[in-house]
Amino acid sequence: MIIRNQDKINSPDTIKQQFEALGYICSDAIATSVYLACHLQKPILVEGPPGVGKTELAKKTSDLLSAPLIRMQCYEGLDEAKALYEWKYGKQLLYTQLLKDQLGDVMRGAKGLDESVSRLHQFGDIFYSDEFLEPRPLLEALRTEDGAVLLIDEIDKADQEFEAFLLELLSDYQISIPELGTVKAKSKPLVLLTSNNTRELSDALKRRCLHLYIPFPSKAIEQKIITAQVPELNDKLKHQLVEFISELRDMSLKKVPAVSETIDWARALLLLNVDNLDHEWVKTTLNLLLKFQDDIEAVEPEIHNLLKVATKGS
Amino acid sequence: MQKVLGDFIHALRQAGLPISSAETLDGLRAAQLVGIDNAPLLKQSLGMTLSKCLEHRLIFDQIFDQYFNSHNQFSTDNSATSEDTGQTMAAPLSEPLPDAINSLESPLAQQLISGDMAGMQVMIASAAGASGAQEVTFMTQVPMVSYRVMQALGDGELQQELAALAEREESSAILSLLQQRRARLQQQVRDYLEQQFLALNQNEPNKRREGNLQKISLTSIDQRNYKLMGELVRKAAKRLASMHSRRRRITKRGLLDVRRTITANAAYDGFLFHTKWKSTRIERPKVMVLCDVSGSVSKVARFLLLFLYSLQDVLPNVRSFVFSSNMAEVTKLFEEKDMEQGLAEVLHTWGSKPTNYGRALSDFETMALADIDNRTTVIMLGDARNNNEDGNIALWEEIYRRSQRVLWLNPEVPVSWDSGDSIMRKYAPYCSHVEACNSLRDLNRILGSVLKHEA
Repeated sequence: MIIRNQDKINSPDTIKQQFEALGYICSDAIATSVYLACHLQKPILVEGPPGVGKTELAKKTSDLLSAPLIRMQCYEGLDEAKALYEWKYGKQLLYTQLLKDQLGDVMRGAKGLDESVSRLHQFGDIFYSDEFLEPRPLLEALRTEDGAVLLIDEIDKADQEFEAFLLELLSDYQISIPELGTVKAKSKPLVLLTSNNTRELSDALKRRCLHLYIPFPSKAIEQKIITAQVPELNDKLKHQLVEFISELRDMSLKKVPAVSETIDWARALLLLNVDNLDHEWVKTTLNLLLKFQDDIEAVEPEIHNLLKVATKGS
Repeated sequence: MQKVLGDFIHALRQAGLPISSAETLDGLRAAQLVGIDNAPLLKQSLGMTLSKCLEHRLIFDQIFDQYFNSHNQFSTDNSATSEDTGQTMAAPLSEPLPDAINSLESPLAQQLISGDMAGMQVMIASAAGASGAQEVTFMTQVPMVSYRVMQALGDGELQQELAALAEREESSAILSLLQQRRARLQQQVRDYLEQQFLALNQNEPNKRREGNLQKISLTSIDQRNYKLMGELVRKAAKRLASMHSRRRRITKRGLLDVRRTITANAAYDGFLFHTKWKSTRIERPKVMVLCDVSGSVSKVARFLLLFLYSLQDVLPNVRSFVFSSNMAEVTKLFEEKDMEQGLAEVLHTWGSKPTNYGRALSDFETMALADIDNRTTVIMLGDARNNNEDGNIALWEEIYRRSQRVLWLNPEVPVSWDSGDSIMRKYAPYCSHVEACNSLRDLNRILGSVLKHEA
């Protein structure tokens, strides 16, 4: 995967340009992290507030490398059976039923229990072979011929045990299945882990990863993002929008609007044919930006002042 | 490069970043990959491999700037050096000097006259390494080490040469030039050492102080260290949090739950496909903490409260109570207010009044006694100094009977228990643990073990 895309990832700048061509505007830090991850073959641990494009980064990376994206959403109680592999119980059951007669033939003539058992042993572990293995995301990522982009989303939501279980995968790109032995990656996948920091991740996990923190974008980058995502929006409104949002982010709110909210808002304003940000429009569309009633109530009386700052430059 | 990076990582470790050798290797590989010419790129790359959380990243950035600014003179950037430092020196170096260089004998003098600043810096760095610049732990050691560095550079020969030159009339021009350069060199060496010292050691005293604070008794901490102590308490609570907040189910693999296995597999014609194992689900502990904030413990109260506050952040089921003569529940207050405000309000409203354990406990009875069951841990932080009032021992016994896990943490040393108006002796039989909790370390150890057994 890496070799195939050598020309696309030969420097952080190239990566940045490629991402931009795909509509993902990124900072130097992001481009550098992808560059390092590709060349050092290390996973990236992406942290940052919700809605700054952590998951999007994985999607665009898979586009960039034209490799399949395998996504695993983590949640409390996620275990190996759901993340790694499971046996196809139904199929196993069906086969035992079908093979009952065959088994009868095999066992015929065996004297005593000991001999029957030893005869059975001669057949090996048919039922625990590749045939009956149901691969889950992690195993799938290891078995993809050409390498894949593996996104382990919201790792902080999973249990600590699961985190420990991931360590083998992250450092050696291999996984042990007791019945089959160790499965090694055919081609090392590019792994991205995202975290919203709901809990502290273990040092062992962090040690194995490159650490990337994506903060809220700067005003210039945010303008570029909107240009890429909502190209129809006029420049003046775009400027006002970004200024307004950055003012909002400075207020102490329960949940400050992220990039995804900015984009939603831009789309909404475009749909509503707004061409100048005014008090009325902001008030009616505020619920797109703020997700808590408390926040809306806190911001409403301030709209006037915020608008004054936001429209000053234009 | 390895040497420079190694020193840099040493500086980072001094600043408190936990960098393992595996990460050091990663950092080296990253640096090799991106090269060291592009400083912003190098900073990004090293930042990603060496620092693993935002807090550490900020420290990293700061140290990177500091460290590589003191080093960049002799990176690859010769032009810059000859422009700023070199200019004043290069200016008078006109025609007659090449001959002069040949006439000089000591290598240091030749080096000085030739004005090769980049080469000089490299020489300083290697000489400093050889004379133990890394081991400078006090600022006062700098002059001594700088003398050693000068010697290593060949200052002895230079001195002789200078003395010889002073005797010859015709070489006065070169003599004064050399003397001037030597003075400058001394200054350079000293600057270099000081920069090194700052980069490597500025956090060392802090670390030492933190270590001492851990051990110091809570009553004897002075105002100056309050802030630092607060940080430490928060750190400790956070560590407890990440250690214990998530452990909830202990699966005892090995014990087959026959009944559930048979039920689960009834549909498969009696084939046992799904095995069910016995597991015990352990609930998060319910903790009630009663904290004495009266006059007698006023000095410690702040820290006990601080810990109480942090503990409530850490564990989901903590109820906090404070009392001096009357008891009040402050769980809600702690939830709503931030730490500084919350603590100030508690100390203002309930603090520094005379103690009455009896009355406080009977308040507790009406508020929370009914909620105590055998999964509740009750922790009392107090000195049991009751101003000779009735202690309401019977009620404490009732609490013990219900909960079975009652911890009494006394900020006084065991010797002074039961002296004066302390009635520790009366409460002690109805506690599962009575411990002196006199320093942050004690607090950590005790609560750590409580949580371990519960969670």
